Amino acid sequence: MKTFLTATCLSLFMLTTAVSTGFGADKVLNLFIWSEYMPDEVLADFTKETGIRVNIATYDSNEAMYAKIKLVGKGYDLIVPSSDYVGLMRRQGMLIPIDVNKISNFKFIAPQFTNQSFDPDNKYSVPYMWGSTALAINTSLLPAETVQQTADLWKPELKGRLLLPNDPREVIGLGLKTLGYSINEKDPKHLQQAFEKLRLLKPSVRVFDSDSPKQAILSGEVSVGLMWNGEAFIANKENKMIRYLYPPEGFSLWLDSFCMPKGAVNIDAAYRFIDYILQPKVAAYLSQSIGYSSPNTGVSEYLPEEMKNNPIVYPPAQDAVRGEFLDSLDENTMKLYEQYWIQIKSK
Amino acid sequence: MNESLFFRRLLIGTTWGWVCLLALIPYIILLGVSWLQPGTDTLVLPTITKENYRHLLSPEVFTITAESVLLAACTALLCLAVGYPFAAILANAPAKLQPPLLLLVMIPFWTNSLIRTYALIMLLKADGLINTALIRTGLLTEPLQLMYTPFAVFIGLVYTLLPFMILPLYAALKAVDPKLLEAGRDLGASWLQNFLKITIPLTMPGIIAGTMLVFLPALGMFYVSDILGGARTMLLGNYIRDQFLVFRNIPMGSAASITMTLAMGLLLLLYYLATRRSGGRVMR
Amino acid sequence: MNRWVRWGYAGGIYLFLYLPLAVVAVFSLNNSKYSLAWKGFTFDWYVRLWNNTDLMTTAFHSLVIAASAATLATLLGTGAAFILHHYRFPGRHALFGVLFVMMMSPDIVIAISLLLLFLALFLPLGFITLLIAHTALCVPFVAITVYSRFHGFPTDIVDAARDLGANEYQVFRKIILPLAAPAVVAGWLLSFTLSLDDVIISFFTTGPDYEVLPLRIYSMVRLGIKPDVNALCVVLMIITATALILTRKLLKEKT
Repeated sequence: MKTFLTATCLSLFMLTTAVSTGFGADKVLNLFIWSEYMPDEVLADFTKETGIRVNIATYDSNEAMYAKIKLVGKGYDLIVPSSDYVGLMRRQGMLIPIDVNKISNFKFIAPQFTNQSFDPDNKYSVPYMWGSTALAINTSLLPAETVQQTADLWKPELKGRLLLPNDPREVIGLGLKTLGYSINEKDPKHLQQAFEKLRLLKPSVRVFDSDSPKQAILSGEVSVGLMWNGEAFIANKENKMIRYLYPPEGFSLWLDSFCMPKGAVNIDAAYRFIDYILQPKVAAYLSQSIGYSSPNTGVSEYLPEEMKNNPIVYPPAQDAVRGEFLDSLDENTMKLYEQYWIQIKSK
Repeated sequence: MNESLFFRRLLIGTTWGWVCLLALIPYIILLGVSWLQPGTDTLVLPTITKENYRHLLSPEVFTITAESVLLAACTALLCLAVGYPFAAILANAPAKLQPPLLLLVMIPFWTNSLIRTYALIMLLKADGLINTALIRTGLLTEPLQLMYTPFAVFIGLVYTLLPFMILPLYAALKAVDPKLLEAGRDLGASWLQNFLKITIPLTMPGIIAGTMLVFLPALGMFYVSDILGGARTMLLGNYIRDQFLVFRNIPMGSAASITMTLAMGLLLLLYYLATRRSGGRVMR
Repeated sequence: MNRWVRWGYAGGIYLFLYLPLAVVAVFSLNNSKYSLAWKGFTFDWYVRLWNNTDLMTTAFHSLVIAASAATLATLLGTGAAFILHHYRFPGRHALFGVLFVMMMSPDIVIAISLLLLFLALFLPLGFITLLIAHTALCVPFVAITVYSRFHGFPTDIVDAARDLGANEYQVFRKIILPLAAPAVVAGWLLSFTLSLDDVIISFFTTGPDYEVLPLRIYSMVRLGIKPDVNALCVVLMIITATALILTRKLLKEKT
């Protein structure tokens, strides 16, 4: 027993040291990214073309990524935060400026994604993928005219039939949008109004889920759900009766961008990687294989019609204008969010 | 004797060594942080404040705590009710069969718990396997509402934590000397009397251990009730996680978790005192 | 108790435990990318999995960490349970307290506090820090399990051995350990499970060059479970089960 134990320990130890010292490429890039957000083939091709090996580490929420970067600081060269976290990290001086002139393919980024409030002049971020958070409606359970705008969610027939994201920004944002305010509203009075309004919505909510909301709408547990377009896209693929509505009051947009955290070491590799990803052909491949919209203007000639013309993936221009990007909030506003969120959830 | 002393000191020394490294020092750091203010650029500001602890006295936090304790306690009781007979069956199975049977209990738990929870959705949802089977066989015409109910949450929690109950119970039941039960029978005790007067008291340490191993993790666990219950209530686990991550308030999160720990510690202490007075020698 | 009732009950529990796994296994053979409804039979996901070297590496990392942390935790935890039960020493009650505190702390609290410790010690994040963190996660579970087993012990055997001149080490090695073996094994198994399943602690305490599987799985689930994750779970289950059965066989032949 004892010899067996020591033998296992020893072999394990040797194995791990062998594994950890086995590699030794000169050029590496430590990429910290949402999981399932960068296909292996693309990384392999990049390594083949440039000789740079990519170490990939994954996260599943902006919050967790932020906490790790904030606490640890070093170890990662490239991260992919969403717009509000780009804003937050930029304001807190956690990012290295990016010189877009060094990125020859930056010209392909559509102007509606550059120069946003969370990063004026794109000094710190380069857009990667974007999408929306709007209403998915199962029209086989509900006449389509029942829900035509966010204000309709308060209708009594939706009691216990609604899904909202498990995320304070999106939920309180819904209240703000319904009342006609900005999703990044900071006025405490308006926030209070949004909270009062949302309190009345609680009986309608059956589920709070932002991980896999398509599940609940596909199985018919809920009739309407506020979810991001990737989920709605899959739900619609499985059941054509599920429609995606960009409400007239407006909706929130998300944009994930490449940023370099302070503490990044392999800066050149990071630039080369961004430039590689922004090639229209690569961007089109990525958009197609992960199923999100690319902010790259060059992708349209490579994308199949059914994707290009799918309003869930690429919202029509007249709808897109009502979208608003999430930006970071100041500490005092966050305090209010915290207070309201706990009250919404705990009652 | 020298060797004995060395062995004893070595064991006590190593134990205190890792306890300090892995638990005491991190918790002292946490305790320190819980009296500071959250900052914007740095995560904490070096200003001492009582605010974090004062904030914990709000009625919302009380509701959250009560819900969590209730949920964890019900889960522990359910696991005990389901797990005890099962552990007893295992412990009384033919000796040769026991190891493989025990292994069979453990194997499911090497599948990621999140995957297993999502697999439960496949079973429980309105068009899931259970409802489909019931409707096909004609037992039902309308699907049962199973998902996003307390029922689903308890199914999920028991499913996730059951082995933590079964293993210590099994170990305790194995230690019961069958001769004692035989003696009981010879003296005319019924099966129930034997069980109540001999088996239960002798396996009490296992019952306590199992209950602790289920109750304490259940207190901080939230993903099962979020996924299967629809996340309509906030639990301590969510609250603390949100403080750490979403609201970036590490001092508040630390204060909450320290208070929770202290409260539970007090509960355990009271329990210990109560059992000691009543003559039980449960947790010496 | 009636035999049939007994085995019926046990069978019911096993069914409860294995039904969701059967779902996982069935959907790993489903010819649909999103695994929500049955769309026909395929082995594609296993082929894809085999070609996904990155995922295989993280799975390997996970197994190594789980086995090492479980072993380390079992050694430390058994030692702690032993001294708690057999010796009286200063701070014994405090030790109990610490074990309970460790066990009920939410993952995020353990994760952040250990991360702060590693940062204070300037330890680079990676295999070592992950191993330490997972050991910290598992130790109290082992200690409590083994300690509860010591309670049923006949103390007279230990006293007899001492009277016959056995030293403390011999008592531990020849009497205590064999008697406590079921609980020690149970502790190891629990630890292995905990380590293989942990997400939050792993996320905060590992570095970019030592990714582990639960992190991947956790975030893959966010995008809806894909059949390749199901396939991976089936493969992992088979690997761990066979490894355990083999070691059991080997140990049996030896003794």
